[in-house]
Amino acid sequence: MHSTAPLTLDRLTIGQTARIVAVDWSMLSPAEARRLQEFGLDIGVEVEALHRGSLFSRDPLAVRIGRMRVVLRGAHAAAFTMAMACTAA
Amino acid sequence: MSVAAPLVALVGNPNAGKSSLFNALTGARQKIANYPGVTVERHSGRGRFADGRVIDFIDLPGTYSLMPSSPDEAVTHDVLMGTQAGERRPDAMIIVVDAGNLPHHLRFVLELLALGLPVIVALNMVDMAERDGLVLDAERLAQALGVPVVATVAVRRRGIESLLESLDIALNADAVTGIALCEPAQRPAVADKIARAAIVSESASRGWTRAIDDVLLHPIWGVLILLGILFVMFQAVFTLAQAPIDMLGGGVAALSDWIKAALLPSFWRDLVTEGAIAGVGAVITFLPQILILFFFILLLEASGYMARAAFLMDGLMAKVGLSGRGFIPLLSSFACAVPGIMATRAIADPKDRLTTILIAPLMTCSARLPVYAIIISAFIPARNVGPGIGLQGLVLFCLYLAGVIAALLAAWLLRRTVTRGANTSLLMELPRYQWPRFSDLLLGLWQRAIVFLRRAGTIIFATTIILWLLLSFPRVPADSTANQLDYSIGGHIASAVEVVVKPIGFNHDIAIALLPAMAAREVAVSALATAYAIEGSDDDATANRLQNRLSSRWSLATALAFLAWFVFAPQCISTIAVTRRETNGWKWPAFMVGYLFALAYGAAGATYWIAVAFGLG
Repeated sequence: MHSTAPLTLDRLTIGQTARIVAVDWSMLSPAEARRLQEFGLDIGVEVEALHRGSLFSRDPLAVRIGRMRVVLRGAHAAAFTMAMACTAA
Repeated sequence: MSVAAPLVALVGNPNAGKSSLFNALTGARQKIANYPGVTVERHSGRGRFADGRVIDFIDLPGTYSLMPSSPDEAVTHDVLMGTQAGERRPDAMIIVVDAGNLPHHLRFVLELLALGLPVIVALNMVDMAERDGLVLDAERLAQALGVPVVATVAVRRRGIESLLESLDIALNADAVTGIALCEPAQRPAVADKIARAAIVSESASRGWTRAIDDVLLHPIWGVLILLGILFVMFQAVFTLAQAPIDMLGGGVAALSDWIKAALLPSFWRDLVTEGAIAGVGAVITFLPQILILFFFILLLEASGYMARAAFLMDGLMAKVGLSGRGFIPLLSSFACAVPGIMATRAIADPKDRLTTILIAPLMTCSARLPVYAIIISAFIPARNVGPGIGLQGLVLFCLYLAGVIAALLAAWLLRRTVTRGANTSLLMELPRYQWPRFSDLLLGLWQRAIVFLRRAGTIIFATTIILWLLLSFPRVPADSTANQLDYSIGGHIASAVEVVVKPIGFNHDIAIALLPAMAAREVAVSALATAYAIEGSDDDATANRLQNRLSSRWSLATALAFLAWFVFAPQCISTIAVTRRETNGWKWPAFMVGYLFALAYGAAGATYWIAVAFGLG
């Protein structure tokens, strides 16, 4: 039943929180990778999907890292493999 | 003066409230200039300690780290290293951090502490952090970092005195204190640890920003609200500005009449009344509209909405090969293409950036507003076409929209031809919403007004005088019935231009206005005003409003074609110059001028022929 494709940041449902477990830095240019790290996107960090797209497109994606809100495109979000955070309690 | 005033740099992440703090420290005593060789604005200003001693502040471009990824950020790096041309190394830094975003901002603080300059940390926006349920202890943070930390709320002017006191002590301290520096790789972990230690209490965020964003970033409502905001903005430009415009116009006319009555007819009297006052006065009366437009742009910027607009527009911009990041420069270009083109530096991809520069002039800049305004008020009746919707405002909105649509089409085409390149990206922060301080907005408006008036006093003044001379000489002999405008040197030049523009419905008056409009677009209005003032110098020309003259001399088709021309209007000289500087050569500005001239000619022609076909000629 479960999809075999790993859960990536671009596939999170709005409102879902998940933890970054792996990053494919090769999908990002060095400058993009550095900027995303400066935003705090790195292994072990919890990210919540906040808003997605508009009338025109499913892109971009707004996420929350701690108290910071960051906007990125799906193509970049796909570099981050996520694991669902424990939602119990 | 024994020693120079100490130089203190304000450094910090974008959205830390740096500019508000800079305003709080310097008040209106600010100067905006350029760093030599780059088009990065240098914001400097003077502040004073409580006892009156002077401090010089510079507000450095916001950046996330000292690894520059844009020309702005490179300036921050170079100034702090003391290697920026035209700037001495600062004597101290005020590092501005957002209290609500401490773990992120502290990483940059740790990097900056390694520079070894005296440092004060301004723990800014503590009120907003508390609103979100986060209470911090500045003292604990100071102990952990080993440098003074002062809690501030820059927009409310809170904490400024203690900040200055700490700065005074830090500037006079012998040794620089600081924590044992950590390896760059450890900074995120160390920053997190220090941030956690500074928290007194933390409750779940009440989520104001979240709740507002659920509406404003809604896929459908959000876009409609954005369009609504832009619509209200353009309606306001027309309705709110009317009273001050009438007052300014009346003042200009009164001044001209007074000079005419006070002096005997002479070359100099005519130069002043028909040249300087008629020309510059015609442009100055549009100051209220320009300020209203800037007021909205500054308000959207300061409240945090601008980044939301970029979010909403990114999907559309991506379709034509641009990024939502380009929306902010393009929106600034509604005020003026020069700062707009300079703001494209935030776009990382060079081809994406070049495309944005090339289409920026299609955004209707405020210099075109006087041209639109005069034609609209002369030809479009001031009636309502719906509740609260004036026809004039609607036409203006459509003109702006035409520019936007043309820009999107041009971008789409350019990205498939001359500026083909890698896919674009959008990486940006969404700042929290905040209520802007009214005096910060006024300060911004004041700076814009100064820039506009300086243009009116220099470029516009000079071109108007030159034009007046060209149109006034040689004089028509007394026994001739020839028209002064046709007889003059300027009239002959215009006749040559007229041959080219006649097919698209332009008359001799427009031909006179087109050439000086290259210096600055709003000169088109002053050129018409000057021309009609010369021609009508026998009757009471100044009392005769420019609008009335236009509507009696131009057909509606010609007026519409003229408007269409200015949607694509050939660039003013400053736009061409800034494009040359930002693209390092003449190739792209030449291309830009060429393609926009072709578009303007085509659009004006099409408008004219269609209008004539509908019997409006």
